[in-house]
Amino acid sequence: MTEVARNSQIIDDYLQTLTLALAGLPEDRRAEIVEEVSEHIAEARTTLDVENEASLRALLGRIGDPTAIAAEAGAPPLDRGRPSDQAVPWLLLLGGLPLLIFAPLALFWMVGVVWLWRSNRWNLTMKLVGTFVLPGGLLPFAVLLTQPTFASSCVSHGSPDGKVVTHCTTSGFQLNPVVAITVALVALIAPLVTTWLLQRNPQEQ
Amino acid sequence: MHYMVPGDDPVWLSQLRKGSVEHCVLALLRNEERYGFELAKLLVDAGGLIAGEGTIYPLLARLRKNGLVDTTWRESTEGPPRRYYRLTESGQLALTAFIHQWKLFRESIDAILTGELAA
Repeated sequence: MTEVARNSQIIDDYLQTLTLALAGLPEDRRAEIVEEVSEHIAEARTTLDVENEASLRALLGRIGDPTAIAAEAGAPPLDRGRPSDQAVPWLLLLGGLPLLIFAPLALFWMVGVVWLWRSNRWNLTMKLVGTFVLPGGLLPFAVLLTQPTFASSCVSHGSPDGKVVTHCTTSGFQLNPVVAITVALVALIAPLVTTWLLQRNPQEQ
Repeated sequence: MHYMVPGDDPVWLSQLRKGSVEHCVLALLRNEERYGFELAKLLVDAGGLIAGEGTIYPLLARLRKNGLVDTTWRESTEGPPRRYYRLTESGQLALTAFIHQWKLFRESIDAILTGELAA
């Protein structure tokens, strides 16, 4: 990594930590504070004699700990250790599956959604992703698997006049196999990616 | 990652700072408009009235929400436009009241500390 790239990485990391620390605030207030701090950093950088890792860290040190800025803004502290937060990604991924056996069991997924929105570990974007990619987690994929997506059955029998007649019936969705496989892959991969995103340590977000 | 935190201040001092810094911002805006960066530097240079320069922004947002300051965007010679803060009428009133109350507060503390009251 070049020095310039590393320097902007240091700034980005700081701003991301700040964004996360402000997670409990309404989106517009958070965006405003992050933008102002980012402009502050931009201006402070122009006053540096030498820009390197040490001088940038000192600059960020003067701007202060993101949690101090968040506290001043009245953001509730992050409680990333809350047990419900640990369960959320898994409830969202797997909680829809019991629906295949017994419909009310989809409640597990819904509990995951409620805990997701109640938590301040995730920002609005992640909450929307967690809810809509995909609703039911792996459930849509499981439904696709259990559907005879492009199965067809043919029955042949001889007719009285000696000809052989074949009747073919196709059940399930009539999908082009390429489309069907793509849909199935998306239904499998999308919830897994969402789980991975939700599972990440907040520091990495 | 570690950032500088105000280390060894006694609790009472940081609370006193916290309670008075908003009015210090109002006082800095008494005669002229200033922007966030400038205010942050002034408050830090004045003996660490704010813990870090970044805490000025939520503080300014609060003052604006309470109607004590107003903002306008102004072009700057270098970089993006800046948001300038100026005192509103109720900000002016709040500052005047604070100056009066601060004086009384300081006098009563001084009177006790110097033992004048006991005599």
